[in-house]
Amino acid sequence: MRSSYLLLPALLLFLVSCSEKHPDGASLINKEASLPAAFNFSKMGLKVITSSINKKQGTMSTLYGNDLALNTAKAGRPAQPGEVLALITWKQKDDDRWFGAKIPGKLQSMEMINTTAAPGAAATVTYKHYDGDQMALNPDTLVNQERIKYIFDQKPSVMP
Amino acid sequence: MSTAAKPPLKRIVLPVFFALIFCFIVLQFVNRPLITNPPVTGEIEAPAQVKAILKKACYDCHSNETNLRWYDKVNPVYHMVAEDVTEGRKGLNFSTWKDLAAPDQKGKLWEAVNQIIAGAMPLKNYTAVHPGAKVSLEDLAVLKKYLSDMVVSKPADTSKTNALDKQYKNWTKETAAQTAPSVSSNGIAYIPDYKNWQVISTTDRVDNGSMRVITGNDIAIKAIKENHINPWPNGTIFAKIGWDKIADVDGNVHTGAFKQVEFMIKDDKKYASTKGWGFARFKTPKLLPYGKTKLFATECVNCHRPESANDFVFTSPVKH
Ligand code: HEC
Ligand code: HEC
Repeated sequence: MRSSYLLLPALLLFLVSCSEKHPDGASLINKEASLPAAFNFSKMGLKVITSSINKKQGTMSTLYGNDLALNTAKAGRPAQPGEVLALITWKQKDDDRWFGAKIPGKLQSMEMINTTAAPGAAATVTYKHYDGDQMALNPDTLVNQERIKYIFDQKPSVMP
Repeated sequence: MSTAAKPPLKRIVLPVFFALIFCFIVLQFVNRPLITNPPVTGEIEAPAQVKAILKKACYDCHSNETNLRWYDKVNPVYHMVAEDVTEGRKGLNFSTWKDLAAPDQKGKLWEAVNQIIAGAMPLKNYTAVHPGAKVSLEDLAVLKKYLSDMVVSKPADTSKTNALDKQYKNWTKETAAQTAPSVSSNGIAYIPDYKNWQVISTTDRVDNGSMRVITGNDIAIKAIKENHINPWPNGTIFAKIGWDKIADVDGNVHTGAFKQVEFMIKDDKKYASTKGWGFARFKTPKLLPYGKTKLFATECVNCHRPESANDFVFTSPVKH
């Protein structure tokens, strides 16, 4: 008879040990791909404009923008004052939860464009490039014009 | 204690024991489900090595060539086996493989291999009794190579470019005039606001040549910020937007035609029957709801099942 008293807890213990473990929330975040909190990126409230992949470099990028930037791009008009655009690029990595998929790995760079009103011209474009482990401002301006053109040339992804 | 009561062994334990034996024997005959092997109408074609793995590890539950051993036929095991075979064949059947359209066959194969990698298939209680059905690491390498070799990456594809151009024109000249909202067979209506939500992650799907962006509503974004994502709070909504891929001459790949948008809405009570999530998929810019009956959600749940320890969510969120 006694043994049945032992059996029940033993059975419960067995069931508990068999049930799966749930990893805690923090461990499920893609940390290496996450933006430094100091950027306060999400506060800017930017929306996705499009996304792209560079096969040669093994990177993937997402272009974000404010409403004005999206609408200007959709209308195919030149830059208007007040646009905010951000192009974020990651090294790709294999998705360890889905064989056949690649997802953002290490954060590589952040490019920011702001446009302001300019007398005589459509808008003045300010371009900033952050990269490296600390996402520091990159002082090199050699390719700025090329990058500005590249970013403005992106066609928005169709989102009905 | 020892004075009045007789030792209970003979009085209680033995009759109970015999009663159990009796029940066990009766159980072998009553309500016995029938597992039959319907004809094999269009079996999967694959290299011998690949097929041998599927045969030993999956065919008992995912084909019409189920081969039950004597110990599978003893109840209550037999009941469980019958249920597994019925459910297993419903979602994946290698004997009626050719009923599936070519892209669906490909999709199922990737899903199958992913279920093996995740340890979800073959079912653990089955391999415990049939150790020979386990998929070894070498087997897995064979399957992975078979899939990887099937991927063809076409560079500029004019039919895809044309499809995009057509969609793009219609989309950019769209006026505010809204058509009647599209509703899925499980009652979930299309949510146009998904494109205004913040981005959670992106995926480059090599298996089916698509690109995806995953966005989340404010509740989802707040949960990510606070690391409260297992389980996700009620009210969380994810949208996964899918496009074709179009490569330009430099090897840069951009989004092509819009394929679909899928939603997962968290409500552990309302959607208890589908693991706490309401699933819906709307296809093409016409936003046609996927799934004739609400049973379509079983398909979503079954493929998301390997993530059961992560609240059935695949995506590892990127904090923005
Ligand atoms: C003992 C029976 C059994 C075996 C063996 C088995 N499965 Fe399954 N499988 C099931 C059942 C039952 C389901 C339905 C979902 C569930 O209960 O997990 C399923 C579901 C699936 C699904 C999801 C189908 C859908 O609805 O979309 C895939 C994919 C799958 N199995 C692949 C495999 C592969 C690959 C193997 C061999 C390596 C395998 N299974 C071996 C029983 C089995
Ligand atoms: C063949 C497997 C498969 C099926 C079937 C499937 N999904 Fe998913 N789903 C995935 C994978 C893999 C991801 C991770 C993102 C990616 O790689 O595309 C995902 C991600 C998602 C996400 C983003 C949240 C998350 O879990 O990461 C949503 C929303 C979603 N799926 C909805 C659906 C709906 C709705 C259905 C059914 C109509 C469905 N899925 C069926 C494999 C599947």
